[in-house]
Amino acid sequence: MSMSQEEIEALMNGLDAEDSSADEPMEEATPEAQEESENSQEVMSEDDIAALIAQTQVANDTNEEKTVEDDVADEQAPVEEDTASVGQDDIDALLNGIDVSAEDVVEPTPVQEETSSKNSVHHEIDAEAIARDWTDKRIQEGVFPMPVEKNTKVVEQLSQVASDSEEKATRIFDVLSYIMDENLVVQKNSKDLEEFVTSQINLLNTLSQKFPNIDVFKVQLEKAQAMQGKGSEIAAKVDSENMQLFEAMELMQFHDINRQKIERVMSVIRKLNDYLNGIFEDDNSYKDVAVAKHIHGDSNSELVGDDDLDALIAEFGS
Amino acid sequence: MKILIVDDSSTMRRIIGNVVQQLGHTKEDFDEAEDGLKAWKLLSERQYDVILTDWNMPNMNGLDLVKKVRSEGAHQKTPIIMITTEGGKGEVITALKAGVNNYIVKPFSADVLKEKLDGVLKK
Repeated sequence: MSMSQEEIEALMNGLDAEDSSADEPMEEATPEAQEESENSQEVMSEDDIAALIAQTQVANDTNEEKTVEDDVADEQAPVEEDTASVGQDDIDALLNGIDVSAEDVVEPTPVQEETSSKNSVHHEIDAEAIARDWTDKRIQEGVFPMPVEKNTKVVEQLSQVASDSEEKATRIFDVLSYIMDENLVVQKNSKDLEEFVTSQINLLNTLSQKFPNIDVFKVQLEKAQAMQGKGSEIAAKVDSENMQLFEAMELMQFHDINRQKIERVMSVIRKLNDYLNGIFEDDNSYKDVAVAKHIHGDSNSELVGDDDLDALIAEFGS
Repeated sequence: MKILIVDDSSTMRRIIGNVVQQLGHTKEDFDEAEDGLKAWKLLSERQYDVILTDWNMPNMNGLDLVKKVRSEGAHQKTPIIMITTEGGKGEVITALKAGVNNYIVKPFSADVLKEKLDGVLKK
């Protein structure tokens, strides 16, 4: 579906808002932003997009206010304690002050850990998205095969093509048959018309002979004579059209021939599938065995030579 | 005259039916069956003057139908024309040995069917 310019702009605004929220990993609104980004992938109306943009802006404002307040509170607390510690002469009080400040120093650590865990989750999501994009790109380039789904299974698709084209061919035949039936009616009507014109000519001929002074009979006779043969012309044209339709119907035999070619290919693929399954199948009674990571002959720098092995044993032995 | 058209493709049945109509027959003059089994059922229910059958069909193919018609039932002498995509010499011989009276390879023209139909009906 094509999108209007307004929808594109609204969508772009929504994306900008999401990007700005993604750039601030410290903000607690990150899950909301993720939800919004997921929702944004669904098909939304223009109103939904506008509402989403408004919500995003409100959420950003609230988060910004919270962040500022928190920062101010965090900054004020140690200052007050420092002031208190400076004001006291007592060493114990000073030591208490030091303890408090030490606690203050320790306290931010979980925040940092939380932040780093959020960052790691964010990085994991990014990595997944990058991997998915890369795979999709490779599939589009034709480097990787399409994933095995109903729509990509060869035999299933060929079968669908055969049955769909059969259905459409039947419809085409219906249309051609309808045109031919209508042509028959046209041919019959044109024949009736021709007979009527001939009878009119005969009548007007008689009348104009009986009443030579009445011009209208003569004029009408000339007009009727001019019309004579038109019905036959129409019938002849319809007849040649019918011949073309017959030819088109004959050509539709190639649908059946092509269907049989597709069925032949399907048969080959099925046999190949059975053959390959026969080669690779087993009785499924095996258990997973531990697989060696480094085997002699591998082109791997991790492989240990005899000398290295002896040296290692000697080193650990000593 | 009654004609039985046997083909698994509805398009082909209509094409053959159309050609038959071009030859002067009406829609009431022919019946259609989509495989050998349904054709055999129709053949056991009423009498036909000529059978036009495809070869490759599901359930019962045209060759088996021809063999069955020639070996049992009331149509052992009825003319059969095979209309098929199988154009190999071996297949034609196989079909003739099974008992078909004439053989048409798809795609065919109305003139060819008319000629072959006239040929089997004259005998």
